[in-house]
Amino acid sequence: MKPILEIKDLHVHFYTYAGVVKAIAGVSFTVYEGETFALVGETGCGKSVTSRAITRLIESPGRIVKGSVIYHTKDGRKIDLLKLPEAELRAIRGKEIAYIFQDPTAALDPLYTSGYQVAEAMVVHRTVRSWKDGIKRAIEILRSVLIPDPEKRVKAYPHELSGGMKQRVVIGTSLSNRPRVLIADEPTTALDVTIQAQILKLIESLKRRHNATVMLITHNMGVVAEIADRVAVMYAGKIVEIGNVFQIFKNPQHPYTKGLLKAVPNPLIKVEKLESIPGTVPNLINPPPGCRFHPRCPFVMDVCRVEEPPMVEVEPGHQVACWLYTKR
Amino acid sequence: MSGEEYQKSVLDRVSDLFIELLAKLIDRVRPGWYERNRSKVSEWKLMAYALNRSPPGVIGLILVLAFIFVGIFGPIIAPFSYRYFAIYDAPGSDLAQPGTVVVTKDNRTLYFPLGTDHFGRDLLSLLLQGARTSLVISIITIALGVPFGIILGLVAGYYGGKVDELIMRITDIFLAFPALILAIAFAAVLPERIHEVLQSNAWLRDFFLWLFALDQKDAGILSRPLAVILALIIVWWPGYARIVRGSTLSARENLYVEAARAVGLSNRTIMFKHILPNIIGPVLVYITLDFGGIVLMEAGLSFLGLGAVPPIADWGRIVYDGSQYFPRAWWLIFIPGLVVILSALGWNLLGDALRDILDPKTRRSIEFKLKKRRREE
Repeated sequence: MKPILEIKDLHVHFYTYAGVVKAIAGVSFTVYEGETFALVGETGCGKSVTSRAITRLIESPGRIVKGSVIYHTKDGRKIDLLKLPEAELRAIRGKEIAYIFQDPTAALDPLYTSGYQVAEAMVVHRTVRSWKDGIKRAIEILRSVLIPDPEKRVKAYPHELSGGMKQRVVIGTSLSNRPRVLIADEPTTALDVTIQAQILKLIESLKRRHNATVMLITHNMGVVAEIADRVAVMYAGKIVEIGNVFQIFKNPQHPYTKGLLKAVPNPLIKVEKLESIPGTVPNLINPPPGCRFHPRCPFVMDVCRVEEPPMVEVEPGHQVACWLYTKR
Repeated sequence: MSGEEYQKSVLDRVSDLFIELLAKLIDRVRPGWYERNRSKVSEWKLMAYALNRSPPGVIGLILVLAFIFVGIFGPIIAPFSYRYFAIYDAPGSDLAQPGTVVVTKDNRTLYFPLGTDHFGRDLLSLLLQGARTSLVISIITIALGVPFGIILGLVAGYYGGKVDELIMRITDIFLAFPALILAIAFAAVLPERIHEVLQSNAWLRDFFLWLFALDQKDAGILSRPLAVILALIIVWWPGYARIVRGSTLSARENLYVEAARAVGLSNRTIMFKHILPNIIGPVLVYITLDFGGIVLMEAGLSFLGLGAVPPIADWGRIVYDGSQYFPRAWWLIFIPGLVVILSALGWNLLGDALRDILDPKTRRSIEFKLKKRRREE
C-alpha cells in the first residue's frame, strides 16, 4: 500500500479569551492510496479540525502550531502542505484534495445556481476552458451524482433544491476536478436516514470509478462499519486507537472505543436504558494530565493519571494508546 | 406564476409596463436574455408591487425621479442661461417678485415665474441648473466614496486581526470628527490644489465643465465644487467601511465561505463574489438614504460659502446670497430651501421603502398582505 497523506504530530491550538484550547495534540496517522479512512469520535474531539488542518483551512483564532502533513503527489513527490505557499496550496485545494462539508444547506452560496457553483470549482482550476464549458460539464457531473433532470437543475438556486439534492450538488462540486483525496466531513449528518444510505452509496461508487481516496469524518458507527477500510478513533484531540474496520469492531482494545461501540443501540433488542459513557468530554483548555480519557475510564490505574500512554501495536496494523496494553 | 395572484392597481400596471420595457431592451442587447431570466423579471415586478403598496415610497420615488430628471435635463430646459444677468438689459429686474414680467431696453419681454436674484438672474433657471450641480456632486461622491469604504470594510472584516485593527483605527480617526466640521476643513483648503491640477489638465477641466453644464468662462471657479466633492468623499467612506466590516464579519462565518476556500478560490474571489453580493442589500439602502444626506450637506457647505460661488448655480449658495435680502426677497430663501428639502426627503422616503422591500422578512409580510387583500375581494 502506498501512502498518500501522512499526518505527523499535528498540534492545533485555538487562542480564545478563556485561554488556549489545545484542540489537537499530537495527532499522527497515515492514509493510504485508494482506501476509505474513517475518523470517528464524539462531537468536539477534533475530527473536523484535523480534517481542515490538512489543507490549512484553520482560521483565526485557530493556529497550527506544530506538525507536518506530507502529501504524495501523483508523480511521487512528497510535499509538506503545512509549509507550502498559499498560492500553491490553493492549487491543491479542490483539485487534488477536495472537501464535502457537513451541512449542505449552508455549503452552497444562496445567490448562485447549482450549475454555477459546480462550474466555478472547475474554472478556478482551469480544468475547463470557459464558463460555458464549465456549465456543460456541470450538467454531466450533476447527472453522475444522480440528480434527476440535470439540464433543469443546473439553473436551480439552492433554495429550490431539497437537502439530499443539495448534498449531491456539494458532492458534485467536490468531485468536479476528480480529486485524488476526498475529505467528507460528516456528509450525512444533516440528512435523513433514507437519503444517508443513498449518499454513502454514491460516494462509494464515485470513489471506485475515479479511484480516489476517501477520508470520512463521522460519529456514526453504522456508517463507519458500512464503508470504511480503516478507522481511527479520536478522543479529546488525540488518536486513541487505529486499525482496520474488523479489528476495531470485532476486537476493540481501548476502553473508549469499547464504550463507543456499546453506545450504538441495537434496533433488535429492547433495552431499559441506552448505554452511554459516563462523564463528559474534558475541557481542552486544561486537559486532564496523563491519559485524557482517565476521568471517564472504568479501568483507570495510577499511571493513567500522570503519564500519557504511548501508541502500542496489539496486532499487525492495530495500534492503541492505553496503559492496559503496555508492559512496564 | 406570480403576477396573476395579485389584484393589480393602476400603479402596478405602470410598473409592469416599465419593467417589461426594460426587459425587452436588455433582450435586444443580449438576445435570449428574457427567456433565460423570466423568473428574475417576475421577481422585479413583485418588488415593484411591494413598493407600490407603500405611499411614502411612491412619493419618494417620484421625487427622486424628478430630481434625477431635472438634474440631467434642467440646464437644457431652463428658460434662461444661468449666466444671463437681466439687470444689464432691463434695469430694475433685480430681486423681481415671482411672476414679474420685465421689458428690456430693446423691447423684449422677460417673464420670471419664480422671481430673480440680485443680478436679475431667473430663479427658476438657477434652480434647474443647480439641480445638475447637486446631482453631479452626490453621484460622484457616492460612486467614489462608497466603493472605497466597501473595499476597506471587506478587507478589514475578511482578514481580521492586525489588518482589521489598522483599517478600523484609521476609520475611527475619521469618524472622531463631526462630519460637517471635517468637510468644512477639507473644502476650505482643497480648492487651490485642485485648481492647479485643472490648470495642467485641460481635458479634465473640460470634462467637469461638461458634467456640470457650465460655461467655459467659469473654468476658473470650477475647483470649488470639486473641492466639495473631495471633502464629501473623505467624510463619507468611513460609514460604509464600518457597515461593510460588520456584515462581512458575520457573512464570512457562513459555511459556503469555507467551502469556497476549500474549493481553492482566492481570497479576492471569495470577498467579491461570495461575501459582497450577500451583504450588498443593506448597503444599497444606505446609499439611497445617503443621497439625501449628501444633497443636504452639499447645500450646507455652499451655504457656509465653501462650495460653488456665483455665477455657478448652487441651491445652498442661492439661499446664502438671498439671505442678505431677507425678508424682502423671501423667494430667494423659501423656494430653494423647499427644493433642497424635497430632494433630500425623496431619497429618504425611497430608502425607507427599499429597506422594507429588500429585507426578506418584511418583504414576505408585504406580499402576504397583498395576497390577503386579494382573497377578501
